[in-house]
Amino acid sequence: MRGTVFTETMLGTVRLDGEPEERRVRLDLRADADRVLLPHRTTPARLTGRVRIAGHADDPRAEGELQVSPIARRRIRYRLAFTADGRRLTLDGWKSVTPRHPLASMTVLPFTVYEGQARVGEGVLRFPLATGLLPFLLGFRFPRREDPARHSAPRWNGAPGRTEVWYTTLTDPASGTGVWLHHELTAPADGSEPFAHGWAAVFPREGEVRHARFGPVPWTRPADGFTAEDVTCSGGRLTGSAGDLRWKLTEQPQGQPLFTFPRWAWRHPVLPAAQMLPSARATYEGEISYGGTTMDLRGAPGASARIYGHGNAHRWAWLHADLGSGDVLEVVAAVSTRPALRRLPPLVFLRLRRNGRTWPRRPERPAIGGPGPGRFRAAIGLPEWTVTGRTALRRIRVEVNQPPERTLTLEYRDPDGSRAVCRNSESADARIVLERWWGHWRPEATWTLDGTAHAETGTR
Amino acid sequence: MTADGLVAALLADEDGTGWPARVPHRLDAVLAALPRPARAGMRAAVAAVETYALARTGRRLAALRPDEREDVLRSLALRPRLAPLLDLLKVPVLLAAGTERTRVVPPPVPAPADPPLDCTPAGEWPARTTADAVVVGSGAGGAMAARTLARAGLGVVVLEEGGHHPTASFGRRAPLDRFTELYRDGGATVAVGGPPVLLPVGRAVGGTTVVNSGTCYRTPDHVLTRWRSTFGFALAERFGPLLDETERTLRVAPQPLDVLGNNGLLTLTGAERLGWRAAPLRRNAPGCKGSCQCVVGCPTGAKQSVQLSVLPDACAAGARIVTGARVHRILLDHDVPGPPRAAGVRARRPDGGELEILSPLVVVAAGTLQTPPLLRRSGLGGHPRLGRNLSVHPATSVAGRFAEPVTAWRGVLQSVGVEELHADGILVEATASPPGMSSFVLPGLGRELRRELEGSDRLATLGAMIADRPSGRVLGRDRAFVRYDLDPRDGGRLMTAVRAMGRLLFAAGATEVLTGVPGAPRARSLEALDELLAPVGARDLHVSAFHPTGTAAAGGDPQRAPADPEGRLRGVHGVLVADGSVLPGCPEVNPQLSIMAAALAVTDAWLAGAGHGG
Repeated sequence: MRGTVFTETMLGTVRLDGEPEERRVRLDLRADADRVLLPHRTTPARLTGRVRIAGHADDPRAEGELQVSPIARRRIRYRLAFTADGRRLTLDGWKSVTPRHPLASMTVLPFTVYEGQARVGEGVLRFPLATGLLPFLLGFRFPRREDPARHSAPRWNGAPGRTEVWYTTLTDPASGTGVWLHHELTAPADGSEPFAHGWAAVFPREGEVRHARFGPVPWTRPADGFTAEDVTCSGGRLTGSAGDLRWKLTEQPQGQPLFTFPRWAWRHPVLPAAQMLPSARATYEGEISYGGTTMDLRGAPGASARIYGHGNAHRWAWLHADLGSGDVLEVVAAVSTRPALRRLPPLVFLRLRRNGRTWPRRPERPAIGGPGPGRFRAAIGLPEWTVTGRTALRRIRVEVNQPPERTLTLEYRDPDGSRAVCRNSESADARIVLERWWGHWRPEATWTLDGTAHAETGTR
Repeated sequence: MTADGLVAALLADEDGTGWPARVPHRLDAVLAALPRPARAGMRAAVAAVETYALARTGRRLAALRPDEREDVLRSLALRPRLAPLLDLLKVPVLLAAGTERTRVVPPPVPAPADPPLDCTPAGEWPARTTADAVVVGSGAGGAMAARTLARAGLGVVVLEEGGHHPTASFGRRAPLDRFTELYRDGGATVAVGGPPVLLPVGRAVGGTTVVNSGTCYRTPDHVLTRWRSTFGFALAERFGPLLDETERTLRVAPQPLDVLGNNGLLTLTGAERLGWRAAPLRRNAPGCKGSCQCVVGCPTGAKQSVQLSVLPDACAAGARIVTGARVHRILLDHDVPGPPRAAGVRARRPDGGELEILSPLVVVAAGTLQTPPLLRRSGLGGHPRLGRNLSVHPATSVAGRFAEPVTAWRGVLQSVGVEELHADGILVEATASPPGMSSFVLPGLGRELRRELEGSDRLATLGAMIADRPSGRVLGRDRAFVRYDLDPRDGGRLMTAVRAMGRLLFAAGATEVLTGVPGAPRARSLEALDELLAPVGARDLHVSAFHPTGTAAAGGDPQRAPADPEGRLRGVHGVLVADGSVLPGCPEVNPQLSIMAAALAVTDAWLAGAGHGG
């Protein structure tokens, strides 16, 4: 199901009780609906944005509700709570849509301002057609709205030679320690019984990386998530133990799913493997202990991801970077194991979710380029590897540094028994530079992650 | 339009000085308050008379000598078919003349301060507000509904098209000025049909209760039984205690004799001599001073119109009144499961602006004549019986001339009820007119009319209203267009009532009875009256009508009643009907208590039942 996101700016005046003059008002709003906005239906949406009343209020964290029903109810109603001079006020008003005056009725918003139940002012806002219509129309987006939980169910269909992974990486904001929980189902290519196994690892800011494996144990075919004896990962809960590592966490998804590979590649397993994040980012609460150390996690940022396919790539690099303010960068660069494809440079899948929007718009774009050249490039190496690429008006450079002392080397085994070596760091460094073309390249955003990036490279 | 020539002719103004000289200007003020069609009709009629004078004498009426004017009128009076039209011309002229001739009696005591109301003019009310309940109309039904809902804790907003007229404002102006302001269409609302019927309704905070006579009859038991059994109006069962409560609220009591006035006393005398049942009416006017101005706003604050009795309670419980707000339509949410749901109202301000109030409950109490157009404007006029089933109380009046001055305008306006013929659907009530505002159409033209006018202090007037068969219909969307055709049975009742009133007046000692019928104006004995009225039919009478009811009737049959037995409008959620239109049939008495009890019952039922969900 898709939702609707749009932004709207309105200008007007308000007369507050007890004041002789009107004040100018400006509303910069972002509306976020859980379903596609259809004019003949009633669509509720969440409102966030900035309310400015000249000399009285400037609240960038205004929140409220929007009800869009231009035909069914002939009404578009705004209710917005904001703070003005320390007072909590509510703006309540609606546009009354009438076919006799379509333009005026769709753009004029009379409103009343309340403090609690008491009326404290009234005014009129207008949508500036001349300057606002084009950005308003171009700003409409219909993002998918999915329940992250539906992606935790096992994908394996019983075919031999498959592997399926549920992995979680996070960073304890208090200690800076990185955590990696890897849950894997392997269905050997020789048709023998599938088994579950995995490992847990912690990457303390000081001291050496610790890890421990669990399993293998027979796969019990759970309906949801992953279960291997005392290790479970389902329903937003992660519990288990491996060696002296113990964990008991709850996961709170913070965003919509992020498909690093094209959605079709996840839905129809035609590629050797595909990866996705049920929620682009998540926060974690709970406890992790190892040795004599116990970490009490509160709102630890991280993410869970899923992999399903035939096995690991020939070479690969992966990055999950929580950029703050809800922004996330996910990168997978991989070289296929297929004989002919093995000679190609890495295919890059890069997804930057920023301000609720994902760039590049199509996930195929970084991997195969636009029409002709233009695909993103990766230089996989250690301790540094980079990814660069550009679209028409933006370009990005991702530099990842996996310091050897904060990197864990592990052996992977594919369903066909072949081996790979993975070098993983959940406390890697990264620098991301995003630029935008405006006559020349101008910096748009720069992020520097100091020990909070989650990265991995793999080789044969 | 200044019809000075016609006025001078009708009033036989010989020298152009004194009070008749002021009448044309007063007439202009009266006509300015009338709706445009009525004004146009008057203008045409005046032009026609002037043209006749021009054709007959070569000069306009104003340029003629008094004898010549008299000659023109005499010539017009010789044409019987013109008599009803001339009477229509006479009515506003007589009103204006009465006002200029009679010094307005100031109220005997200074007006007391009214209980406080929370009134806000529509221009000062925000364009967008919300409420738990919106009540459309502040009359008998609306006020009661607002009070009930406000006392239940709901945030109530009452929208009233008219203005707020405090008691103190009544004593400052002439009755005629108040009349044109307090009534819709300047008091000239007319039901088209045979015969055309004048149907005045109030428009102010308090609705028609501000301008009614204060007579408070309980709904008769046989009427309640009929409403319940024939129409399935289940709430009628609960009327007993609700009528008690309404009477307590309005402080209803029999009118004491001390201020009854000669009009009422003569009626009592006549009834006693005839052995008829008659008594001072029960009224909601404790401490009435006998100002005889009920119908233009009681200047002493004695009459407990709902703006003095119910609305203050409602406001004390949190209700707010918006004045000058004409509700244009009820807003509906169509995209809900089942029938559409009320979402609020849109109202127009006097300056043309609009305001909207969102509310999940809309109580329609706009009055029997305005509720159907409002529902049609709102897209809720689909029920085939909406606007039909209009019942009124057709009424006519008869005057008796007495040897001694009666001065009917000193005393209670509607003072005595004669119930001898009530079983036959005829209720006779001694009803005078406010000073200078005689509603009785005096006979004659020119000098004869002037003589009648000069001698009008010797007239006692009786009015009779009859229980009708519902034979009217309210049409229209933007404006109410009322069609009413008097049922033949009801025409017979009206003639019976005229004879009965004549008999009563003769019994009281009247030397002459004026019938108001142009072709049979006066009789000096009962026998002469019978003989006079023999060829007269109801269509010849000047018929007014009061107390319209039944246009959005509640009842058990979904095919026949637009509202369900608990007063909820069918085909929509969240709309209650709580005015005279919800009554399923003619209440046969002055209906204020019945309407208030019905509004109380409807809102009580909504609060008690699953009304919140539907």
